[in-house]
Amino acid sequence: MSELEFYPFHNGAYKHVPHKSVISEHSRTNFVSLPTTFYDKALAQRSFDDFLEILIGCERLGYDGVLHSEQHNGPIGLSAQAMLAAAYLAANTERMLIAAVGPILNAYLSPVRLAEEIAMVDMLSNGRLILGLPMGLGAQYHSYGVTDPTAARDRFREGHELLIRSMTEEGPFAFQGEWFNVPYVNLWPRPVQDPHPPIWVPAAGSRETLELCAKHHYTYQAVLTPRKVLLRNCELFRELCAEEGYEPPPQQIAAVFFVHVAETDEQARREAEPHFAWLMQNFFRSTFQDSFAPGHVSEGSLRGMAAGGGYRSRDISEMSWDDLIAEDWLIAGSPDTVGERLEKLTSEMGAGRVIVYMDGASTPRWMIEKTLAIFAEEVMPHFRPPGGKPVWARGEDSRPFMTASECAAVTGGAKAIAAAQLADGSLVDTRTAHVPELRRPIEL
Amino acid sequence: MRGLATTYRRAGSGPTVVYLHGMDLTQRWLPFHQSLSQRVDLIAPEQPGFGDTPMPQWLRSIDDVVLHLDDLFETLGLDDLHLVGFSLGGWIAAAFAVAYPRRLTSLTLAAPFGLRVVDSPPYDVFRMTPEESDDVLFNGHRDEVITDDPEADRVETFVHSYLELTAAARLAWNPRYDHRFDRRLERVACPALVIAAQDDHVLPREHCERWAELLPSGRLTVLEGRSAPTGHMMVALEPKRLADLIADFVTAEEAQQ
Repeated sequence: MSELEFYPFHNGAYKHVPHKSVISEHSRTNFVSLPTTFYDKALAQRSFDDFLEILIGCERLGYDGVLHSEQHNGPIGLSAQAMLAAAYLAANTERMLIAAVGPILNAYLSPVRLAEEIAMVDMLSNGRLILGLPMGLGAQYHSYGVTDPTAARDRFREGHELLIRSMTEEGPFAFQGEWFNVPYVNLWPRPVQDPHPPIWVPAAGSRETLELCAKHHYTYQAVLTPRKVLLRNCELFRELCAEEGYEPPPQQIAAVFFVHVAETDEQARREAEPHFAWLMQNFFRSTFQDSFAPGHVSEGSLRGMAAGGGYRSRDISEMSWDDLIAEDWLIAGSPDTVGERLEKLTSEMGAGRVIVYMDGASTPRWMIEKTLAIFAEEVMPHFRPPGGKPVWARGEDSRPFMTASECAAVTGGAKAIAAAQLADGSLVDTRTAHVPELRRPIEL
Repeated sequence: MRGLATTYRRAGSGPTVVYLHGMDLTQRWLPFHQSLSQRVDLIAPEQPGFGDTPMPQWLRSIDDVVLHLDDLFETLGLDDLHLVGFSLGGWIAAAFAVAYPRRLTSLTLAAPFGLRVVDSPPYDVFRMTPEESDDVLFNGHRDEVITDDPEADRVETFVHSYLELTAAARLAWNPRYDHRFDRRLERVACPALVIAAQDDHVLPREHCERWAELLPSGRLTVLEGRSAPTGHMMVALEPKRLADLIADFVTAEEAQQ
């Protein structure tokens, strides 16, 4: 078996919304404008708590990490700020990796603000953050109120440059772009990981996004598209990496699959079929105009879609269980079946990471926890080196330090003395100024 | 012109009228153009990103179109002209009038976008589905007034309309108005006519009323339909009546000069 890393994904969706057959009485779809009158505070809180607690539980199950996203203006996901959720997950786990995929750069007024959040979460988690940089769904541009979808790519490109420079270059420096002008980019705090947390980019296949991943050695998160398009994307990605002069390790492609594992193939279908049907019918269904806000898609991609065969060209809401299996979007069955399919499908893609999408949005927490437990114990070990340890438990502990004494041992030493001037005019070293025999004037 | 191949159509004689189109119905000489050009010298440019005028990288806001139009008028040697704008073109025409108030003899705005009218936003055309468009834009009469080219390539038509909507989004997505018009329209020196549709499903009547109020020499008129109340797409629904209304206004103002 190949070696794979596993990252369960949960969306934190709110499922108490009208079915697609009646939703038109209230809204075109669940995107953008489903009225908040459908929002019940207690039910929402419950969904949100389940979302966080399921992900936290993945550490004890032995997953390499967890992945969450952010969604806006609708029930698709109640986690509206990926960095906030990542901070909570960081505080409630010790070792596993936390992939926030992620903050929508274009929803920020300034990328420097995002850099600050990244640095904070990286500190809170002791360097366990994986940063996702999605372009954001077209539908979300209808409600940001920050920019417009025609600017999305240009603004993202420049925002990405500023974001990375703020984390990697010494400050202060001036940034003079078309979209951002920051006279003093001076990032305090700074990320723990050097030079910054690993970056994953979800891509449906736009060449520009794959080029970005290849150029910067980012992980390409293979968003579900028709299987033949997906395989073509993986091939193109490897070609683009080759043009950059390297061969990407399998970990640089993260496959995404709906996954449901149970005792038998039949049982897996019995359990999960209604929930994945619900997901397809209600949550991925959107109008073209909402999904592809004007300018959000490049002319080339648009022609591909119009001619057929491109990104989600079929009506996704009509995909049945059998369609999902046939398209290789869903891996379901007994542990043996799931293990075999995983091996085959990840090998075809050359993927070394798997995002385990086990949340059908209407799937109850107990069922998700059941499938996660079976998967962890009966599938995952086959894809691991002997000993079955997750990436974070192999080799040296990558966290910079956990205790005050370790900190004292690893510190590089103060770059300047924390001095203060007292009433008598003397300048003292604040570390010792409270001890009379050590309080003496110092020179800086 | 300054590196941008700009398409325009011109016909007729008499006072010079420049007509600025809305978000679509480009690449064609409509019955409306035909009617209007029988009474005036009509110039109908296709704005950057629309029709056969490509979308330049520099197109970011209405200001860019205003400067482009000034270049165009300069190139064509137009001095005193009557400017007419429909829908999004109305916003552009008004912005031009604010920037170059002395270049215009008159200003006509038909169902113009561009004002902030609190609590009465226009319909969100950026989310409009093809199924909704007939009712929203044409009040259900599209098939009676628009003949689609049966030879047209499906993919090309689809891509072209997406790109035109993209150009519109560059100009009018965020924000969807220019609140500075409230103060700036005072600069518009020439006589102005605001034409409202009777039953506009896109633009609430309050917008036209407010335009007429803010324009120093502004006057509001409502274009009535022959058999049904006019909808937003007056230019297609009532081409002759709209053309006559504009030509009457232009001719009268020309005589005043």
